[in-house]
Amino acid sequence: MHFTALIAALWIVPALGIVAMLAIRRPRWAEFLNLANAIVVFGLTLTILVAAPDHAWVGGDQYLLLTPLGAWVLFCVGMVYLLASIYAIGYMRLLPEEAPRLHKYYALQAGFALTMLVAPLMNNPGIFWIAIDFTTIVSAFLVGFEKEAECIEAAWKYLIIVSAGLALALLGIILFYWGGTFTLGPTYALTWANLRGVAPHVPEVLLFLAFLLTLVGFGTKVGLAPMHTWLPDAHSEGPAPVSAMLSGSLLNIALLGIYRFLSIVDAGGYGLMGHTALLVLGVISLFVAGLFIVRQDGAKRMLAYSSLEHMGVLAIGFGFGGPIAFAGAMYHMINHSLTKSLMFFGAGNMMRAYGSKAMSQMRRVLHYYPFSGGLWLLGAVAITGAPPFGLFLSELTILRGGILSANPWAVWVMAILLILIFTAFMNHFRRMIWGPEPEPGEAPTLRLSTWNVLPMILAFVPILVLGLWWPQGLWEFFQHAFTVQP
Amino acid sequence: MANDFYGYPLISGAVEVYCEKGRGMVQDIILQVGQVLTVLLLSPLLHGFIVKMEEKVQRGQGPSIFQPYRDLWKLFHKTQLVPESATWVFFWAPVVAFVAMMIVPMLIPVLTNFPLPLSDMGDILGGGLILTLGSFFILLAGLDTGQPFGGLGSSRAVMLGILAEPTLILVFVGITFLDHSMLPFVANHLLAQNPVAYWSPAHIFLILAFFILLTVETDRLPIHSTIPYEIYMIDEARILEYSGPLLALLKWASWMKQFILYTIFLNVFFLPWGLSTSGTPGSIVLALLVILAKYGFIGLLMVGVDTMQSRLRFYRYQEPLALSFLFAVLAIVADQL
Amino acid sequence: MLIFHLGPLAASLFSLLAILALVLSFVMLASHWLKNHIYAFAVESWVIAAISASIGYYGHYPELYVIAALTVLFRGTLLPYLVLRLVKRLNVNREFTPLLKPSSSLILGAALVIFSYEVAHRLGVALHLQDNIAVLALTCMFSLKLIGFLMMILRSEAISHILGLLVIENGIFLGSQILVPGMPALLELVIIFDLLTIVMAFGMLVRFLQSHAGTTSSRGLQKLVG
Repeated sequence: MHFTALIAALWIVPALGIVAMLAIRRPRWAEFLNLANAIVVFGLTLTILVAAPDHAWVGGDQYLLLTPLGAWVLFCVGMVYLLASIYAIGYMRLLPEEAPRLHKYYALQAGFALTMLVAPLMNNPGIFWIAIDFTTIVSAFLVGFEKEAECIEAAWKYLIIVSAGLALALLGIILFYWGGTFTLGPTYALTWANLRGVAPHVPEVLLFLAFLLTLVGFGTKVGLAPMHTWLPDAHSEGPAPVSAMLSGSLLNIALLGIYRFLSIVDAGGYGLMGHTALLVLGVISLFVAGLFIVRQDGAKRMLAYSSLEHMGVLAIGFGFGGPIAFAGAMYHMINHSLTKSLMFFGAGNMMRAYGSKAMSQMRRVLHYYPFSGGLWLLGAVAITGAPPFGLFLSELTILRGGILSANPWAVWVMAILLILIFTAFMNHFRRMIWGPEPEPGEAPTLRLSTWNVLPMILAFVPILVLGLWWPQGLWEFFQHAFTVQP
Repeated sequence: MANDFYGYPLISGAVEVYCEKGRGMVQDIILQVGQVLTVLLLSPLLHGFIVKMEEKVQRGQGPSIFQPYRDLWKLFHKTQLVPESATWVFFWAPVVAFVAMMIVPMLIPVLTNFPLPLSDMGDILGGGLILTLGSFFILLAGLDTGQPFGGLGSSRAVMLGILAEPTLILVFVGITFLDHSMLPFVANHLLAQNPVAYWSPAHIFLILAFFILLTVETDRLPIHSTIPYEIYMIDEARILEYSGPLLALLKWASWMKQFILYTIFLNVFFLPWGLSTSGTPGSIVLALLVILAKYGFIGLLMVGVDTMQSRLRFYRYQEPLALSFLFAVLAIVADQL
Repeated sequence: MLIFHLGPLAASLFSLLAILALVLSFVMLASHWLKNHIYAFAVESWVIAAISASIGYYGHYPELYVIAALTVLFRGTLLPYLVLRLVKRLNVNREFTPLLKPSSSLILGAALVIFSYEVAHRLGVALHLQDNIAVLALTCMFSLKLIGFLMMILRSEAISHILGLLVIENGIFLGSQILVPGMPALLELVIIFDLLTIVMAFGMLVRFLQSHAGTTSSRGLQKLVG
């Protein structure tokens, strides 16, 4: 009952917020309603995380599922939603032409958050799939919100590619269910636990086919290469707060789905094949991301490829399996959410300041914006996995876990590709900071408000802290999360 | 499903087909000759009927349905003219084509649903080969005189053949999968007696595939034009040089080919009922009447095909054939299930 | 899995309906007129509804009648109507730039069917299936899926992409009706509504595409690369 009430509040608050925003139709009100929403949601997700049960909690007439991993993903959603809501106030005010439609934007953003708060709590894989589908629909409209040709193009590609991919996942879910009917009879409740319980009785070929279909399907949503083609478009064309939410929370949820299906294959006793398949996709993603980051000029496109890279790292982490790599992957999730939000906020600021998406136009960033530019640079160091930031610790842990796994070769590939990406990133930032002076008259004059910089600070502090100090409690939580059903 | 209906007709059907029911040898020979005569004598009637109906559909008067007989009579009474450039092929091609068309009726169920003494000379593939032999000789005749239209017609016919042959083979393979036999009589028995087999998707797809092939092979739209312009001609172009009795033989052979193909379509694939099962004179007369009704039906169907479609461009000929190929593939896939 | 045993005639009926749906997807594959696609899709949905209803009848799943009715209503009527309206508003009647000629796409589609059959057959062998109808359902499901993807690959019009997606969804729905008729009906209902939502979202985006990007063809959408 305790969790049911929390979860109900978690959904009802944003829903009421959306209704209020659409009813009042005033931009200023919408800004703060959304912010209030986000604060409440963050508080609730934090409460759920702290109170997270030791075991998988099932409630709401078998429809709700709360696991440590799920609570963790949920917390990432709440956190990124809060940061993005603060930032959105500053960022959207820089787009005066959108002011009349601003309440719609905030309603959509809250709706996007709501769909993401629903998905990780679903105990029914089918309904989980539907929730993921709804996140796609809502976020596609956010991506296309500015209604420029590029934005609409990106939104269209996003919607069509991800829908097609998710259709594969649905097929996989039906095959999983079909595999269960041989043991449990024609009608049984479609839940993660049931699928996992029946997995040992399902023939290998069916189990593996179903898993591969869901892997490709949800992998499209995660943006694993080679199904990643929508990701750079959608992440680079949406407003910056939306990009942060897409990258920092939505991808995690899809990955959670993959991990849950992986656990079914694990339970069936064919885990090694499933883990290796996920691992291979992760390595391919890392490779593709590395190639595209080297030759990238769009700031947000580069960050989008960086998301691809980090999803690859997460896929490798979960693909390694084992408690150490798993803990590293969970740690990586939160670090990536924070750092990527920071990076998208910085990129959004610079795009507005220089009036261009191209990094070749953003010159002497540190000279004109010593504080927010500096934070952005530090974020770039952090996102490439350099010490002393959180991503360094988590990537190192994943590598450590990988050496003990069945696929130690991937450790070396991953290390080399990470170094390549680090070099490419630093090269881009070197040019932005020490490159030639901007043309006269093109020097940025925009003054960034507190709303633009505050979320960057809020994101930066935790990644520094998490990089210097991995709390013992968190480690134990991760170890515990590994042992219970995901 | 395999066990449900494959076992039954395969064994009992084949046994029934080949168990003699106490008919005399003489009667069998009469029946066999009767089959050939049916094809020989009724094929101009079918052609006349189709021509008449096409005219009717276009609100014209149309020639009498017996016009083809009069045409033949007239042509046989004309002097035979032979081009200077012609060789022996020119004379033999019509004869071979005509004889080939008289052999095929022995192999297929025209009047009786049981095989007659010479029916096991060849199976469905053998029949197909003999049909092709006739076409092949006409093709040679088209090339023989060295006239441009003959060559044009022959090359077009060969191209169509190249496109149509694979499908034809697949249809044969499909029917073989269905009844586990290459003999048309077995297929006829299976389909007539077993509604499950008749309504199975495999069989329905075979009907569709074969029907499309039929329109291609019997000079129907959307590939063959009904308008006698040289530029559209395919089959007519090959025989432009002929006149007199040889032309009569060629025309008669092509009508017989049409009749034979419709017979295979009707008696083996589409409407396997209504054939004589005992071979008694009464049943034969009945079978003849049923045949007339069936041919009326298919004639009207073909009139519909010709009326409702327009001719395709040369470079789109492969479209209906690709469709037919697809149906044949689907039939074979469905067969496996 | 079907736990009830089908008589031979019922099995033939199911095969016929399932393969009919497959043939209709080939109609879509071979035609260039968007209206033909939509009509074929509508008929396909009706065929699938007929499958649902007959499974409900033979297998005694009364809730499948409701699913069948809703399939007819939403997939068979409302969705085609919405897409048809979209076609009229966009004034795009024809797919002008397919990568392959219709005949080649048909042959390719036939190859995909054979591949699907091979996969389904292996699954059937691995599962020791007694009913061929399950193999048939798998074949149709995989084939429709692959044909839908083929349509999306070969065509460049936005509407064709939507229709390709709908074919994929129809394939899944067809397969799930035969393979897992006992799947919780709630899920199927929600999926029907989800499809409706997604098509409406597509419709809005396509109209934005035309008004803001000036084209609805994926060949014109070349701004974002690299």
